[in-house]
Amino acid sequence: MKKILIVDDEEVIRMLYAEELDDEGYDVVTTGTGHGLIELVEQQKPDLIILDIKMAEHDGLDLLQEIRKEFYNIPVILCSAYSSFKGDLKSVAADYYVVKSADLSELKQKIKMALEGHIPSESSTE
Amino acid sequence: MHIEENPNDVRSADVIVGIPSYNEAELISYPTQMANEGLIKYFGDKNSVIINCDNNSPDGTREAFMNTPTEVPKIYLSTPPGVRGKGNNLKNLFKKSCDLEAEAIIMVDADLKSITPRWIKNLGQPLFEDFGFVAPLYVRHKYDGTITNNIAYPMTRSIYGRRVRQPIGGDFGFSGKLAEIYLKQEDWTPAVAEFGIDIWMTTMAMCHGIPTCQSYMGRPKIHKPKDPGESLGPMFSQVVGTIFDIMTKKFAFWQEVRWSKPTAIFGFGLGEMEMPPPVEVNVERLYDEFQAGFTGYDALWKEILSTNVYKKLSEVRTLGFADFELPANLWAEILIDFAVAYKKSAHDREKIMESLIPLYYGRTCSFVIELEPMTIQQAEEVIEDQCIVFERSKPYLLKKWFDTK
Repeated sequence: MKKILIVDDEEVIRMLYAEELDDEGYDVVTTGTGHGLIELVEQQKPDLIILDIKMAEHDGLDLLQEIRKEFYNIPVILCSAYSSFKGDLKSVAADYYVVKSADLSELKQKIKMALEGHIPSESSTE
Repeated sequence: MHIEENPNDVRSADVIVGIPSYNEAELISYPTQMANEGLIKYFGDKNSVIINCDNNSPDGTREAFMNTPTEVPKIYLSTPPGVRGKGNNLKNLFKKSCDLEAEAIIMVDADLKSITPRWIKNLGQPLFEDFGFVAPLYVRHKYDGTITNNIAYPMTRSIYGRRVRQPIGGDFGFSGKLAEIYLKQEDWTPAVAEFGIDIWMTTMAMCHGIPTCQSYMGRPKIHKPKDPGESLGPMFSQVVGTIFDIMTKKFAFWQEVRWSKPTAIFGFGLGEMEMPPPVEVNVERLYDEFQAGFTGYDALWKEILSTNVYKKLSEVRTLGFADFELPANLWAEILIDFAVAYKKSAHDREKIMESLIPLYYGRTCSFVIELEPMTIQQAEEVIEDQCIVFERSKPYLLKKWFDTK
């Protein structure tokens, strides 16, 4: 079972995502803060992270840079109520960017794509 | 064989800045000065050298480079008289990098007007932090880099699975180890020896699993942008031909790739984003060139394109300028059909590439019309959406590729 870590400071969002993604067959872990996030990722070893951008105490785009330094290949989906952060070049380090909506179909589709993503480790033609 | 001037008798270097050129006497001094400042400021504890790898330019590029005052020593390398090509220049740079046992090589274009010393840091520092290839990330005008936006980026991303936004940016960093890998490759086609070299370097890094990052340059790339309808030159067929060539050689690698992955990003904290200068495009001319393509290439297109794709293209032909659109999904399928035709037909490749140009003009025309009311940020979203369309077309590519085996 694939494990998804949700990082969002809104409890309602965490509950909604957890319930919907649990129904889809994912093992869901949530946190409402960016404090100790790297340690949590090390401990939980998620297959994918859903990361809010605008949180009360943290900037998700800065957290993304920290995640990328430590875990180069864990898929990260930025999930924000605002589309304006797409213009921030820091968001390029995420696998996908989804604007929050009551309809989770786009998020679910992007989760599927991110988990299916595969690149061979090196050329097998050499 | 090459020509070399090494007045300081440099025999080893940790960091090299390479500046490939042909007839850049007027502009090469500026990037040379910036390279000097960057090396002193950010790599002052290392042995550095600046190398101009030139095509024996008759305009005095060598003198302009060697006479630029720098504290860092300089080397002038050139291909023999009559031998041209950016790829040939870089092959000389790769060889010299191996001879000097360099750890990090930074290459920047000779016509750069917006380079700062920080570019040298941002392209070089990741090479001392476990990355082997560094691609530039800069803001470009929405109409600048149409080959990048409509072919090189979506194709490399969808085929090899790594998102490198400027795969033919021309300003790269690479490790000494990667320089050795480049030198060992046996697929130096005539196109790679010329403008195909940038896409070849990026793709080889991807196929060899070299840890790659993109580095934010802070300032837009300001060089000599060109109206895509005015002066395509040989660059188009060399870049696209190289993409098609590598697809044939690296099939075993890319057939396993699914969707795409981002790269790490380096170099933020550079202050406010500076906007690039505007690029003028003669969009009516692009439309006319697309329509004119049917006169010369209709029969060949019918042969190259699958029945359904040809049918959709024929529909696009009937659209007037005011309603013109060549959609991204059709464009992706056209490129796939051309890549397959290129693979099948070794002897007609020149004609195939020539016939793709009016279709590229059609896609560019449609792209420019669509982006006209948009900001640069909105245009980026269109380009990202186009990449997803290309990634979704991968099963079509695989099916067509297998069908021609």
